[in-house]
Amino acid sequence: MTANSLHQTGQAARTRTRPGRSRRAEARVAVLFLLPAILLVLVFRIFPLFWGFGISLTSATSTDPGQFIGAGNYLRALDDPNFRSAMANAVVVLLSVPIFVTIPMLLAILIHQGVPGRTFFRSVYFFPAILSSVIIGSIFSVVLSFNGNLNALLSIAGISGVDWLGHSATALPVTLAIQCWSTFGMGVLIFLAGLSTVSKEMVEAARLDGAKMWQIWWHVIIPELRPIIEFSTVITTIGLLTSMFGLIYVLTGGGPGTATTVPEYLIWAAQGKLNRPAYAAAVSMVLFFMTSILAWLQIRILSRNANI
Amino acid sequence: MSGAGKRQRLTLRIAAIPMGLLALSCLYPIFFAVNNALKTRHDYMLDRFGLAMQPTLDNFVQAWTRAHLDEYFLNSVIATLGAVILLMVVSSMAGFALASLRFPYRRFLFAVILSSLMIPVQVVLVPFMRTMLALNLVNTHIGLILSYTAFFLPFSVYMMTAFYSGLPRELIEAARIDGASLLQVWWHVMLPLGTPALVTLAILNTLSCWNDILISLLVMQKHRTLMVGISALKGQYSDQIPLFTAGIVIAAAPIVVLYILFQRRIVSGIAVGAVKG
Repeated sequence: MTANSLHQTGQAARTRTRPGRSRRAEARVAVLFLLPAILLVLVFRIFPLFWGFGISLTSATSTDPGQFIGAGNYLRALDDPNFRSAMANAVVVLLSVPIFVTIPMLLAILIHQGVPGRTFFRSVYFFPAILSSVIIGSIFSVVLSFNGNLNALLSIAGISGVDWLGHSATALPVTLAIQCWSTFGMGVLIFLAGLSTVSKEMVEAARLDGAKMWQIWWHVIIPELRPIIEFSTVITTIGLLTSMFGLIYVLTGGGPGTATTVPEYLIWAAQGKLNRPAYAAAVSMVLFFMTSILAWLQIRILSRNANI
Repeated sequence: MSGAGKRQRLTLRIAAIPMGLLALSCLYPIFFAVNNALKTRHDYMLDRFGLAMQPTLDNFVQAWTRAHLDEYFLNSVIATLGAVILLMVVSSMAGFALASLRFPYRRFLFAVILSSLMIPVQVVLVPFMRTMLALNLVNTHIGLILSYTAFFLPFSVYMMTAFYSGLPRELIEAARIDGASLLQVWWHVMLPLGTPALVTLAILNTLSCWNDILISLLVMQKHRTLMVGISALKGQYSDQIPLFTAGIVIAAAPIVVLYILFQRRIVSGIAVGAVKG
């Protein structure tokens, strides 16, 4: 849409005849206006991306630039149990994506269909999503600790407590559940925006034809939502790979062991605690590769939808 | 909705029950934090679930002074305000240039800014830290402000470009004919006209900056921001839950106020961001 409007303004400008001098002046001013944005992005993001790739090919430490070792860091990663479990955890995280997409979709459809209390739900659901993951994580660390409130509640019911965040079997699923709970409101908003484009006439026509509610959902609404589902899947996946740091940092510190160490957490640990910046840079490149594929998918989806 | 069958209405009513519980669960954590922050340590140990019967503000005072949240709060305010103002200025300037001015490689430069969306901090963590060290920006407020601006900028530029593209070009032409320079056009025409988009951006960027942990953890090792301070508090005061929850309430308060005041704008801003990518 923006590309389109950019194009239009471009054409509008082109049809006007102007003396070349003022056009050059305009270009000069434009460059000055753009300069701060371009500089910030270049200095802090784009240039570091290439530099990081360079560092990943060396044996650098925090004090020593090190030597060129080619793919050494990448090969070392393959043998590193930390890296392996980070990748295994990433797979678990990715497998949970359908849950992260389906729950908000179902809730949004219900809100759209006029569930009683929908205005209240819509405004409350995204509240956890705007709180910092540090706030969310801190509260849940109190609730879920071994002598915390959830276990106290369970013991009243006669169920013995579980060290939710201290067991390698439960730590990652519990962290993911908290992440899901704290971000589903965002998904609901995305799906509600998408649902506003679903034609009311089609739903009504299906209903008059005697279709049951689940048939309308399955055959009319969900197919219409397909672009939003695809979009939400990609956004959620990128989000899960790059925005769980805060929650993990506060809740588990990557542990117990490496049970909740995901790639982004390993990068942070490797550059700081482990003092292996070159290795951290290599893991960064792996993460970049993963998110790039997703971003490429996202662009394809967006451009395909724009061409319909 | 007039044709809605009885069965559908019943289904929706039943669905409202779990949905209502889910809604309560969204509000409960803040209630939990406030409620426990008002208890004394003794009260909390006696009854951790009940309401604070004799509310005390002592935990807030203690968290504010003894746990240094006053200092952390100030650091967060400086970083957030600085970054939000800088983000508005830089993205409005860039949006004006990209949407309204004519120059070579315009689309390419727009693409360059947007493509950096694909480079989150984690991906450039090591070189980013080295850049910060080389520029002497570690442990400085300016360093944190510049980092926030760089990492939250693409979305803001995108939004301002889209907003300014929708404005009629005659506005600029008219001002130019009146003899205004482009800088004057930006200051007197584009900035005021951009207010709706800028306000939305200010709110969304305030959320991002205030809530950030990773960037501030890297940049501000000495002068902690509030979120870094809270996560450190968790380890120090794990046996003093009321004090800890008071810290959480202090850290969340500005966001809760924003939510109450600007709910609509936040919702529409998120929806715009989502649908347009």
